Amino acid sequence: MNAPDRYERFVVPEGTKKVSYERDTKIINAASFTIEREDHTIGNILRMQLHRDPNVLFAGYKLPHPLQYKIIVRIHTTSQSSPMQAYNQAINDLDKEFDSLKSAFEAEIVRHSSEY
Amino acid sequence: MEGVSYQRYPRVKIREMRDDYVKFELRDTDSSVANALRRVMIAEVPTIAIDLVEIEVNSSVLNDEFIAHRLGLIPLTSDRAMSMRFSRDCDACDGDGQCEYCSVEFHLRARCIGDQTLDVTSKDLISSDHTVTPVDFSDSPGDDSSDNRGIIIVKLRRGQELRLRAIARKGIGKDHAKWSPAATVTFMYEPEIHINEDLMETLSLEEKKSWVDSSPTKVFDIDPNTHQVVVVDPEAYTYDDEVIKKAEAMGKSGLVEIYAKEDSFIFTVESTGAIKASQLVFNAIEVLKQKLDAVRLSEDAVEADDFGELGAHMRGG
Repeated sequence: MNAPDRYERFVVPEGTKKVSYERDTKIINAASFTIEREDHTIGNILRMQLHRDPNVLFAGYKLPHPLQYKIIVRIHTTSQSSPMQAYNQAINDLDKEFDSLKSAFEAEIVRHSSEY
Repeated sequence: MEGVSYQRYPRVKIREMRDDYVKFELRDTDSSVANALRRVMIAEVPTIAIDLVEIEVNSSVLNDEFIAHRLGLIPLTSDRAMSMRFSRDCDACDGDGQCEYCSVEFHLRARCIGDQTLDVTSKDLISSDHTVTPVDFSDSPGDDSSDNRGIIIVKLRRGQELRLRAIARKGIGKDHAKWSPAATVTFMYEPEIHINEDLMETLSLEEKKSWVDSSPTKVFDIDPNTHQVVVVDPEAYTYDDEVIKKAEAMGKSGLVEIYAKEDSFIFTVESTGAIKASQLVFNAIEVLKQKLDAVRLSEDAVEADDFGELGAHMRGG
């Protein structure tokens, strides 16, 4: 009857931004990124990639509530970097990692198919 | 602005590959990537499934919604799904789901006239698009015993009839499990097993045998010639700790050390038949890339930060 549409779980509503950025009011070089309609899939790979960056002092994500379809990624960096820079860097690195994974998998399919 | 890269270069090795099954090793990455890949394969790789059913005649023993549900669960060949549109953002048809870009129409007409029960199966579904048809399992090897008539939808007795029109749409498993292309997707950490050979040699053959038998799965064995304990199948180990407990009980703690390699995973992917298992992995990587692209910061968010440190100071930072 009044059930929300199922796709509301993964389609960003009109007029809402996919990613919003909010700087911490008390700590320099700390900020939260609110990502709409994403979950552990993106949250966890972003967090782990941020941990590989030595300029990142803290990186964590949370799914505030199972019925609020958003995650909050919090980043605190050293003065050598900024949360925004670290965030962009993490996404670029992950993107390149998946590019490399894609071609590795493609090559492996070709190699495997030719063997049998 | 561009800093150093902390990128990794994962390695892949396929061990076994069939149309509906693939087993591969993934190395030089971490569990977050492996888990993201698994999650995307299950819930976010698109397929096509029946989503709307208009029933004209149904005098079968199953009610309309029961049949509609069964139709939805039939896997349809979905190689086209990645390039199709979701009907909710299809401009050509206002989302009514009846255009070539976002939907496929099916018809089913069956009526039992004889005394024998008539099986209505997925083979009776007539598709308007030859690229999207119910999955055919008949050519899978070792399945020649039965006449293979597809997936049974309903059985009809004399005089009963079923006539309907169905629309299949693109969707993802997050929306409804009928759109999930994955039957099972699992990954395990590759175990690294070290036997302390010196300590092992202090055991008698009987003790070795009882220790080897303490493992619920066949991980270790005894070489019949040298009577040495050898690791025959490390991947059979289920991280049950039984052999470690047994060694402790025998007063030989440290007999064996087992670690889970943190950057090495063994994936098992089984597909429903909607797309090939190898294609499923491939599409999952593609979907993950699209998702990452979507979470990039938009331009206006960057501009809003142009106040930079000044803004932070103004707010008392």
